[in-house]
Amino acid sequence: MKNYRAQTYLGFLGFFAARFFEVSTYFLVSEGIDLIDGSPDGHLGSLTIAQIVLGIVLCVLMRFLVVSFARRAIRRVGIAVSFDLRQMLYKSVLRQGPGFFAKISVGDVMTRAIQDISLIHRAIAFGLMAIVIMIFAPLFGVSAMLLKSTSLTLLIVPLLPVIFIYALRMANEMGRSSREVQERLSELSSHTQENLSGIRTIQAQVQEDNEIKRFWSTNDDYANAFYEQARITSLMSAWMPFFASVAQLIIILYGGHQVMTGQISIGDLVFFFACLGMLLQPIRMAGMLVMLLQRAAVATDRLYEIYDAEPEISDSPSGQAPPNIQGAFNLKNASYTYPGAAKPALRDINIQIVAGESIAIVGRIGSGKSTLLKLFTRMIDTPDACLYIDGHDVNDYPLSQLRQQVSQVLQDPFLFGEPLYSNISYDDPERNLELVWDAAEAASLRGSIDDFPMKMHTIVGERGVTLSGGQKQRAALARGLIRHAPVLILDDCFSSVDTETEEHILSGLKGLRAGKTTILVSHRISTLRHSDRIVVLEAGEIVEIGSHEALLSLDGAYAQLERAQTLGDEPVAVPG
Amino acid sequence: MTNKMSGNSRDHSLFDAELSGAVLNMHLLGRLVRWLKPYRLGLIVSTALVLIASYAAVVMEVLISRVLVDYIIVGKTDSPMPDMGMIELTMWVERQTGLSSLNAAGLLFFIVMVVFSLAGHWHRLTLTSAIVKGLRDLRQDLFAHMETRPSSFYDKVPVGRVMTRVTNDIEALFEMLRGVGSLIGEFVPFFVALAVMFSTSVKLTLLLLALVPVVGVATYFFRRSSREVFRRVRNSVSSLNQNLQESLSGIQVVQLSGREDKNLGEYTALNKENRRQEYRSVNLATFYGAFNDSLTAIGLGLIIWFGAGEVVQDEMTLGGVILFTRFMGMLFTPVVTLGEQLNVLFRAMASGERIFQALDWDEQIHEPVSPVTLPPRIKGKIEFRGVSFDYEVGNPILQDVSFVVMPGEKLAIVGPTGSGKSTLIKLLGRFYDFPDGMLFLDDVDINHLHSRDVRSRVGVVLQDFHIFSGTILDNILLGDPTITRDMAITAAKTVNAHGFISSLRDGYDTLLQERGTNLSQGERQLLAFARVLAADPEVLVLDEATASIDTETERLIQDGLEKLMVDRTAILIAHRLQTIQQANKILVLQSGKVIEYGTQQELLELKGLYQTLHELQFQDLKTVPN
Repeated sequence: MKNYRAQTYLGFLGFFAARFFEVSTYFLVSEGIDLIDGSPDGHLGSLTIAQIVLGIVLCVLMRFLVVSFARRAIRRVGIAVSFDLRQMLYKSVLRQGPGFFAKISVGDVMTRAIQDISLIHRAIAFGLMAIVIMIFAPLFGVSAMLLKSTSLTLLIVPLLPVIFIYALRMANEMGRSSREVQERLSELSSHTQENLSGIRTIQAQVQEDNEIKRFWSTNDDYANAFYEQARITSLMSAWMPFFASVAQLIIILYGGHQVMTGQISIGDLVFFFACLGMLLQPIRMAGMLVMLLQRAAVATDRLYEIYDAEPEISDSPSGQAPPNIQGAFNLKNASYTYPGAAKPALRDINIQIVAGESIAIVGRIGSGKSTLLKLFTRMIDTPDACLYIDGHDVNDYPLSQLRQQVSQVLQDPFLFGEPLYSNISYDDPERNLELVWDAAEAASLRGSIDDFPMKMHTIVGERGVTLSGGQKQRAALARGLIRHAPVLILDDCFSSVDTETEEHILSGLKGLRAGKTTILVSHRISTLRHSDRIVVLEAGEIVEIGSHEALLSLDGAYAQLERAQTLGDEPVAVPG
Repeated sequence: MTNKMSGNSRDHSLFDAELSGAVLNMHLLGRLVRWLKPYRLGLIVSTALVLIASYAAVVMEVLISRVLVDYIIVGKTDSPMPDMGMIELTMWVERQTGLSSLNAAGLLFFIVMVVFSLAGHWHRLTLTSAIVKGLRDLRQDLFAHMETRPSSFYDKVPVGRVMTRVTNDIEALFEMLRGVGSLIGEFVPFFVALAVMFSTSVKLTLLLLALVPVVGVATYFFRRSSREVFRRVRNSVSSLNQNLQESLSGIQVVQLSGREDKNLGEYTALNKENRRQEYRSVNLATFYGAFNDSLTAIGLGLIIWFGAGEVVQDEMTLGGVILFTRFMGMLFTPVVTLGEQLNVLFRAMASGERIFQALDWDEQIHEPVSPVTLPPRIKGKIEFRGVSFDYEVGNPILQDVSFVVMPGEKLAIVGPTGSGKSTLIKLLGRFYDFPDGMLFLDDVDINHLHSRDVRSRVGVVLQDFHIFSGTILDNILLGDPTITRDMAITAAKTVNAHGFISSLRDGYDTLLQERGTNLSQGERQLLAFARVLAADPEVLVLDEATASIDTETERLIQDGLEKLMVDRTAILIAHRLQTIQQANKILVLQSGKVIEYGTQQELLELKGLYQTLHELQFQDLKTVPN
């Protein structure tokens, strides 16, 4: 906002001039009428009709110019400010971690980016303009009226605050009712959507009549809300002219009397009618304006909540860490409790991972597997002195280096709405296409890509080809493999891939990852047993650790899981 | 059996096609009238009121110019300007009350003003009320219509398309209502005012009317270019938001890939493009706004210049000139409003077409004219006799399928994906008409039964089992008033759902999110069991979910299923060995044909497809159970 001060003031000046020319126009019209009446009151000396008309045209032209200029200036300020606000928002959210998004969800950030910024935009473009008009219009209007007839002006002016207060109250009512309509509308949408998504169940359970009855109340609620909003708007459109007419009545009765007693001319009477219009216009908007400014203030607060959020993962490398990670990890009494959580997600974890080793982690949902993995890439704020990489505290490494050399494939295979090759080569869009194909091959995705008409250039996601769950996971895997990082972390990323393909990928990985550290999480014994060592987690603690054979002979939790799965409890998709 | 209503022969892409979208489709408006008919009284009253309000608005101006200025101040009694009986009325009031003419005119002005405000307000209320109710009924009818379209329709038409009809398209008509209201409120006074102006001075009125086309042309060009500009603004905003949304949803991938700077660059470029388009739209809107304001003022100049000459020649009175200055605004607003509302009108017309197309879509299941009534409790015997079926001509899904399931028997159906398993149970649920073969429920041809009757006897648990938003209890009862809370809890206990339900904070009154996202897959399955058990159908049909479920829940499900099947005929589409083992017989489908049928032992000895499937799936198996 500060950056556009000059432009804003110029805009103000424009509106100031515009009001001046507007009043002048009415002035000239009133002179013209008097001239027609044959009794010029001599304010402007003896002007001919032609001169007056010329004056009117000139005033109109001037007003046309300055108003255009001023409106444009102020609206551009609104656009420029919302541009800046968006940039700030984007820069800020990019650095935020999971703690931030737990507080302000993605949907919430989107709402702020879309609605709050547009509110502020409107408040500047429309609100600022209205304020200026609200100040200048009475300023000119009232002083010009005073010039013509003090007593008549003093009779009309007390009405203005009454109208203002009414406008304010109505604006509140209107805001409330329009929110109500919005709410009912979104209720109606979600009701319809939900109902139609379940249409087969509804029909299978013979629930059609019930559902149609249930829809009636949602439907009727919306109709009522819509009517209520229309009622309030209509009330406002009835009262506003009524107030105006009261002022007109005063002009008729008192002004008419003044004309008949010769105190003012007929032209002056017409002048009063015209000025009244100019005065009332901004007051009508006043209510909306106050509300807009209030909401913009709230919006600003909400935006600053994002701007002021410090990134929870600090990036302050000591400069002592070596530039290349070898892949030896040492967890020393690592514990982690999520902010606000009662119980720690991880408790006293001690593992030493040798560079080049493959480690598998298994455990129930909520046992701390994903949390443990997040420590490695500092997707959560890893405490000091609990995780060492190649002998250096993980917090000593620059964040960019850590995340570049430790490649992590997430549980949720998120793909961007872009071509496949940009998704796989996401970290470096300029990479050679051959390398992308190699990564796809390693993730057993080559066959699927060959089936797409656009091959690697196939756009995926909402607006493109819909991939199956398994294809998505394999694309995400390819994205992780393409970097050939010294450390690879796979967070349960085979769950939608069938066992046979998984087997194929894993055996390929053995060759690719030889001598490099690989850490993976899985539920399947068939996946786990390929690793050098298996860590069994329970409620944030390590309960067993060792090779597949060692754990089986231990006859503990792992052996129990193995028995359950080989008995056929593990669901297997029917091959088709 | 003939069934011309069958969905197979229809071209469902029509439902998605662009419709003509004519500007004013009289046929369409004619059809809309049907829904407004019940509220015609309101519409008639509303029309009368708008006429009164418009008349009052003009009378107020006549009171000022003709009565106040010409008659009272200037003292002219004869004038070409019509006084609409106001002079006489003023004199009558003077005589009755003894007020001065000025005060009498003031009193009249006040009364007319009250009439104007009240009539206007009531006009808007009655009009809105009638149309809102009509549209509400239209929406209700549309919803009811869509609710009863058969599966063959929903197989081809995405739910989203249907939803847009019920929400957005009806909404477009509501939007139009707002516009129509303001158009009527401006056009009617426009014509009344025009009549008064013509009788005051034909020449001056024509002169001013000449300006209206200028506004019209300006409005036309503004709307035309602004459509394009605003489209670009919208596009740039949506790509901006899409970019942000994606970056946020994939924030972990962005951060893990070190893409922060590159993404910021992309976003900045989009943001700049948006700013550029916004600037363009501002330039356009500013120019148009200022242009219109100025035309009004130019009109004022014309009135003074021309009016002066006329007054001097006694062609017009001073009051007439004033009247013209006051009517100026009324001349242009209808054109401007029309310009504003034209887009809304276009949209509403297109929406109207889509709504009626949906209402006209008469695809449905063929119901018998005089359906056979089943006894209150049936035995549950099922027979397929030579059933064939296809969704599209030339692509048979089931071919000559015949088998019998005796009351109380449990049949497992296995087969590769696409072998026709799901279709089989959909036919049994009477979701589709089938041209060839017969299907019997307790030896009654199901084509002689009403589909609802069949469905209340055959409890189907579909794979894409749907959770309704509401409480757990609501989801078990499904609006059936004959089931009590206790019965629901007993059902949940029987199928092992009670455990997880009572561990929830509000137990059976826990609110479930849409699609049950706060429940796990296994919990959803248990809940579906409870729902079916509570409904107590004689035949159970289960299409087992394929998704992975943790071992413990899986055990609960198998146990629950066993209890659910007690005293019931059951057909299970099985993906798990344990489920297959719960059946008496197994039927193997391949490419829509029954290729093997018998007990598990018999099929294994047959060494056919079942045996292969068995080995493929359970290759890790060290010991074959049984």
